[in-house]
Amino acid sequence: MAASKQDEKLVLGIESTAHTFGVGIASSSGKILANVSYIYRPKEGGIHPREAAQHHSRVAAGALKEALERASIKPEDLDGIAFSIGPGMGPCLRVGATVARAIALRLGKPLIGVNHSVAHIEIGRRSTGCRDPVVLYVAGGNTLITGYIDGRYRVLGETLDIAAGNCLDIFGIKAGIGPMPAPEEYARRGERLHPLPYRVKGMDVSFSGLLTAALKLLGEVRLEDLCLSITETVYSMLTETLERALAYAEKEEILLVGGLARSMRLREMLEEMARLHRAGVYCVPPEYAGDNGAMIAWTGVLQLIAGQTLNIEKSRVRPRFRLDEAEARWRELGL
Amino acid sequence: MPGEKLEVIRIGAEAVVSRLEWNGFKMVSKHRVPKPYRFPELDEWVRDKRTLHEAKVIASLRKLGIPCPAILLMDRSEATLYMQFIEGIELKRALDSLPAEEVERLARELGRIVGRMHKGGVAHGDLTTSNIMLDKYGNLYLIDFGLSALTDDPEELAVDIHLLDRSLESVHHRVRATFMKSFLKGYMAAAGMEFLQRLIEKVKEIRSRGRYVEERRKRH
Repeated sequence: MAASKQDEKLVLGIESTAHTFGVGIASSSGKILANVSYIYRPKEGGIHPREAAQHHSRVAAGALKEALERASIKPEDLDGIAFSIGPGMGPCLRVGATVARAIALRLGKPLIGVNHSVAHIEIGRRSTGCRDPVVLYVAGGNTLITGYIDGRYRVLGETLDIAAGNCLDIFGIKAGIGPMPAPEEYARRGERLHPLPYRVKGMDVSFSGLLTAALKLLGEVRLEDLCLSITETVYSMLTETLERALAYAEKEEILLVGGLARSMRLREMLEEMARLHRAGVYCVPPEYAGDNGAMIAWTGVLQLIAGQTLNIEKSRVRPRFRLDEAEARWRELGL
Repeated sequence: MPGEKLEVIRIGAEAVVSRLEWNGFKMVSKHRVPKPYRFPELDEWVRDKRTLHEAKVIASLRKLGIPCPAILLMDRSEATLYMQFIEGIELKRALDSLPAEEVERLARELGRIVGRMHKGGVAHGDLTTSNIMLDKYGNLYLIDFGLSALTDDPEELAVDIHLLDRSLESVHHRVRATFMKSFLKGYMAAAGMEFLQRLIEKVKEIRSRGRYVEERRKRH
């Protein structure tokens, strides 16, 4: 994509689906010019949507200014304003949407509603250079296996109950060691594996029974062994379903995106599996693994090129926007 | 290994299926290969459990008259089953090139088979179009019971319908609607209206849990 300076498009992207308020700026030549994140961290427990939203409102102006400064551009240089339209927590999404609408109206530039899950995949493709992968998207609130087939990212497999990241986080918190990566760090000192329910249904997985069984063993077996058992079982299940999806969708690349992409052991397992099928493994780099504004900006660039922009009246947030409801027209253009 | 190995016919995600001939008798072996990515104890445990389990399920399916390959021999030490050879192709390979009437006939027939299987208390566990064989006479066979369950839990049975529908949605979405319609007709003929309705409710529930938004919206 060697665009000359004149037809280079610049898009600002706002992420605010859950605990992160992020602002990114991306160009059509594939550069990420800025990626600023402010993360709401509750003192205890999970995310309270309203409190997170208040946090996002507080940091929004500063984050925008910082992103523009990092990119050394003026607001007028922008060609489009993208935001996470869903899925996510309603109050959080509305903060990002409101900010995006205001900027788009003020500058008279197109507004672009980006599906958060699609954005994780697209920043993964851009930052690793893979073309047409089967994707494992694993994060605190998401576990799904997907691939591009006929115009969209189709869901090939997913969790039937809780997300993989959620399962490991809850286990870590209840065990008193904290969320990921703590369970994985403890697992490194594990020696013995205790059998836990291994629930794979086709390309779908189920973690709730496994979590219950692991919590029951707390205090009865060595914590390091229990951490080894739960992480090995969860990652094996993910790797096995991904192996099945790879064969089913007939792809030759594997892309790992989302927060759990930071797990070294999961990567190692995927690489070992990929070797059996001569497939390539690509992992999104850590700075783009968690929720971030750059992924929204970059997907915004793709949507702008493919003409997928929004009228302000139709820009209501979609808290339950499924991945396979989003069109990916830029893929037909070979992007 | 009994007989002479002729060719590998299927390399699945968990097993290698080879064609064998033993004194002129055609058969296949299904070997669950060790997965180097799995922790050794976990790997052995998963492979043995699935081999033993698949043999049990096939035995009960044969009793119910469900078309599936007969088990000839089991070798637990190698996590290998020796089974009858089914001469045909995967439904996945056939579906996009068949005329509409034939697709409907096969869907109805599949519905009858799955309905009877569910009524008999077996969930396939991986019911995608890759695990259904079509022979040259137009007969269907179910294969690969590695993830199946002996159960009458509507949830587990509903997962079969959910998986079949999703495999059509993701790879054969053009024929999905007509296929599912005929499938459900056949299913109802075999399992009855009431049984089917209860499962359809469950399928909807699974979809909404899996964040299939449209259904969830309709419910509220």
